[in-house]
Amino acid sequence: MITLRLKEPIDLVPLEAEAICPDVMVKLKHAEIGALPVYLGKKHTRLDDYFTIEGEASDEIEVHGDGRKVRWMGRGMTRGRLSIVGNAGMHLGAYMKGGTIDVSGDASDWVGGEMSGGLIRIAGRAGGQAGAAYRGSRGGMTNGTIIIGGTGGLEIGMRMKRGTIVMGGMVRDFAGLEMKGGTIILQAGAELRTGAWMNRGTIISLKPLPMLPSFLYASTYNPSFMGLYAKHLKTLGITIPFDPAQGSYQRYTGDTSVIGRGEILVWTPRAS
Amino acid sequence: METAASDNGVAREVRGVRIVDTFAEAFDMRASRVIVTAKTPGWARTAVQTMTGFATSVIGCKVEAALEAELTPDETPDGRPGASALLFGFDADGLSHRLLDRLGQTILTCPTTACFDGLPDAPERVIVGGHMRHFGDKYQSSKSLAGHRYWRIPVMEGEFLIEEKFGVQKGIGGGNFLILGKDADVTLEAAEAAVEAIRKLRGIILPFPGGMVRAGSKVGARNYKKLPASTNDAYCPTIRRRHGVKTELPPEVNSVMEIVIDGLDRTSMENAMRVGVDAACRPGIVEITAGNYGGKLGKHHFRLHDIMGTA
Amino acid sequence: MTGAHLRESEYRMVRITGGKVYDPANGVEGVVKDICVDDNGRIVAEVNGSSKVIDATGMVIFPGGVDVHTHVAGGALNFARGLVPENQRIARKFMHTPKLRSGIGGMTPTTYATGYLYAGMGWTTVNEAAVPVLSAKHTHEEMHDIPIVDKSTLLLMANNELMMDLLEAGEFERAKHLVAWLIWSAKTYGIKAVNPGGVAAWKWGKNASQLHEPIEGYKSITAAQIIVQLAQIVEEIGLPHPMHLHQNNLGVPGNVTSTIETMKILEGHRTHLAHLQFHAYGGHDWGSMKSEAVAVAEEFNKHKNLTCDVGAVLFGDAVTITADGPWQHLLYELTGRKWANLDVENETGCGIVPYVYSDHHLVNAVQWAVGLELMLLITDPWRIYLTTDHPNGGGFWRYPEIVRLLMDAEFRKGEVRKLPVEAQKRIALADLDREYTFSDIAILTSAGPARALGLSNKGHLGIGADGDITIYPEKPDKNGVLFAYPRYVLKSGNVVVEEGQVREIFEGREFISRPQFDPHIEDYIRPVFQKVYTMSFENYPTDMERMHKHEVVECQPMPGTVRPLPPLPAPAPAPEHKK
Repeated sequence: MITLRLKEPIDLVPLEAEAICPDVMVKLKHAEIGALPVYLGKKHTRLDDYFTIEGEASDEIEVHGDGRKVRWMGRGMTRGRLSIVGNAGMHLGAYMKGGTIDVSGDASDWVGGEMSGGLIRIAGRAGGQAGAAYRGSRGGMTNGTIIIGGTGGLEIGMRMKRGTIVMGGMVRDFAGLEMKGGTIILQAGAELRTGAWMNRGTIISLKPLPMLPSFLYASTYNPSFMGLYAKHLKTLGITIPFDPAQGSYQRYTGDTSVIGRGEILVWTPRAS
Repeated sequence: METAASDNGVAREVRGVRIVDTFAEAFDMRASRVIVTAKTPGWARTAVQTMTGFATSVIGCKVEAALEAELTPDETPDGRPGASALLFGFDADGLSHRLLDRLGQTILTCPTTACFDGLPDAPERVIVGGHMRHFGDKYQSSKSLAGHRYWRIPVMEGEFLIEEKFGVQKGIGGGNFLILGKDADVTLEAAEAAVEAIRKLRGIILPFPGGMVRAGSKVGARNYKKLPASTNDAYCPTIRRRHGVKTELPPEVNSVMEIVIDGLDRTSMENAMRVGVDAACRPGIVEITAGNYGGKLGKHHFRLHDIMGTA
Repeated sequence: MTGAHLRESEYRMVRITGGKVYDPANGVEGVVKDICVDDNGRIVAEVNGSSKVIDATGMVIFPGGVDVHTHVAGGALNFARGLVPENQRIARKFMHTPKLRSGIGGMTPTTYATGYLYAGMGWTTVNEAAVPVLSAKHTHEEMHDIPIVDKSTLLLMANNELMMDLLEAGEFERAKHLVAWLIWSAKTYGIKAVNPGGVAAWKWGKNASQLHEPIEGYKSITAAQIIVQLAQIVEEIGLPHPMHLHQNNLGVPGNVTSTIETMKILEGHRTHLAHLQFHAYGGHDWGSMKSEAVAVAEEFNKHKNLTCDVGAVLFGDAVTITADGPWQHLLYELTGRKWANLDVENETGCGIVPYVYSDHHLVNAVQWAVGLELMLLITDPWRIYLTTDHPNGGGFWRYPEIVRLLMDAEFRKGEVRKLPVEAQKRIALADLDREYTFSDIAILTSAGPARALGLSNKGHLGIGADGDITIYPEKPDKNGVLFAYPRYVLKSGNVVVEEGQVREIFEGREFISRPQFDPHIEDYIRPVFQKVYTMSFENYPTDMERMHKHEVVECQPMPGTVRPLPPLPAPAPAPEHKK
């Protein structure tokens, strides 16, 4: 276990710290970890300029402190665990391939941007573009799971191709924008234009949603895959309903302004 | 288990039933396991029974299949009641065709079902749902979860869910033992007892009707040269004195029943044979023996004395 | 000047000794001799006194490379940069150093990176092949920021509606003065004709696929008439580079017919055919598309008035950028991904589609082969030049890959065998045994294009030539590639590259042509312009004060073609062709 403690808050210029990653630190001695390069704006600096460091040579990292301005933590990680006790900055777990990231506080935009595997759990809120494609890219996350306990920002899961995003709180506009596959589960619903330009994939909302006119109601049913997802997500502490005795899902197909092979499933509890 | 020890310490009698010192000769096969879930246990059972119909012998049916176990919601991938079946074929390619035929005609069509691979750790995988998706005429969609891909095929009832690929592993086909009894009734009852005991186990199936076969066969035929198999004359009581028949039956035996077992591995097979033989050793049964071809055709030999001796 | 890193060159004398010199323009082939550059950056017979000495023993000495057709600056390229940020994220980074400015490579390199990449490869002159008058100011600013190399630009003309209106009205002479005025107003070097009439037709949602049918929106004028009259105009006003023609039906299966017809109608006119590879396809659709390089080369060989560049494609990423708007729409429909479509008022249009050439793809495999076939089948090395139509067929920095394919028949045939079997049936490349020599490569990459561009001080190492010199190891590198990294590159006698690393930075020149025209042509242009353009006439031309380091080439009109500008008809002709 390697423990990093932020010496003092970083409040203006962000610290670009892709060195805070299990793959980078797993074989490094204590002194080498301290010398890892981080960038404060364009300034080349060392990791130990900003963090006190305990431990060495491990793929388990714990970061303490308000890291809301610490960016790119866990970038491209393939293994191990990164626990952040506090907040995390933008691009947390971007391009991640495996391992686990846990954040006890909030995270910023682009959580798990273009990730292809692994698990990210944020207890608090997240910014926008979780699991999304970076600007210009054709595809966002291609696998893995992002679980965010609190609210989310704009364009959650934009252009995602596979994988699962679970949002505990309300999300802002354009969740699933240009989605190409995968699953977004909105436990508390979303603001406007959910699923705009969605090609394929599934958005599940447990709360009623304002629906774009280009999404067309198809039927009310209980998809068998919902049981599969419910069972899998239960192991991650997420409950989604699937029992016909409790209710069913309204299926909307869309977005018909593009190829429209996607769906939004809205949970409707059985009237008691 | 009550056994009488022979001079050299090997079991050869169980409760007065003689265990012949011979072996069952079994073959390498390829096996897959299909898990079907449905709204109720009844629909799951109906689906699997229909799917495994007419699948007794790989020679005549191209596949051997039967219900393996009924599954509780805790045991199924989607938390609904279910049932599992094992299917055995000659090779993975043939098996994939059989799966596609059978699942397409019997599970796709059966109300409320969904269909999952029961061998997720098997190294070899054949595409099943990935072909069946075409039934959806491009209206199908897929979901990927935890390394597995599932196809959702729209049907009149709602939606049919089937896993894209099914695992195929090595299996053993043709494990057997023969129950030789004093009359037909007592022999059937002993065989029924054996089947009931064996069916509690997993990893094995009994592909024949009611788990047993009355028409055991030998390879080829003595008088019809083109036949691949014909009646096992050495164990047919009614012709024991006919010219050319070298009977294996003791004089007091008047009926024989064979239990044929396919299993996923050697241990499952041995366990099944042990509990089956033990259950069949009842009053009126004269002898338990096993079928083999002199040991030259099948790779797997299950020696009855070894199996009964390791209890 | 835009910063401390772009400074005037500090000429100093250089002597290169011991290398084998390949200077085909002067008949020198592999002779070991000294090359001297004086303190004016020109090649001289001898230098005295303290000169820098470069020992080139075991190396070969070429005139610096000349790219006759590339897209490295301007509005369209800048739009393309914005369209592919995902490509830039994975592109080569050029870090800021005390000497170099930062930049990124990729399919659409930034200005500084463009200069570093060209120079790093041994190329010292580049010709930006598509500039609308309206984007000329922007383009020159970007050209100014491309370090090291000398530059020139071509003005997009074959869909200029002011000119087309005049040709439609039969006013050839006024059109000629208009074109000359436009060239000087845009401070460009030559004329580029893109899909003549087709881009204008695209504004009506149509194309100009038939050479002899009237252009959409016009009563009589055809693509063939635009091609011939524009070629005539270029010759009469005496531009150093002949008309640079991107033909109709680029990229379309079966376009061999219009390509051969175009060559025939151009009989008697000097013309440069751009990216000929994209115009040498048979078949009638994508499924039946095949190489017609044999037929195209055979016809081309007959027409001594023509030159061409190949526009080869290489497997991998590309970004297609062209004024050929209708073709780009077709390509977008094939890829279904990104597409940008730009309208440039009354002058031209532009389409941008990122593209990946795949070696598994039948059409792409045929395209790859066609470029090589043309280079092997066109017999006169002085009439075909190496390009990828950067970034349309692949990045220019991949030229050494093409050179290797040309010089090593066995390697090339091995590559052919990797193509899809169906593609191999549709090409002739496997049967071609020709191998380029060092001299052939020097012509293909430098001497030929310099001659076609009319740059008499480029492309050779004779006395008085610019000291643009590239020195390569004589033996291939460990990957079998010759010319991948020059050991030294000299630009105007300055050692700018050493061991493949850019060492010295300074600004190259931009060449501008000044053709003669009657200034009264403005009396015709001004009222029409103010009617149909969104900007004011006074702001249209690029003033000389806005030009950075440049060299003006005074054009000599063709004898016997200087005629007075006809008087303005009254009332002034209104464009009445619009439906």
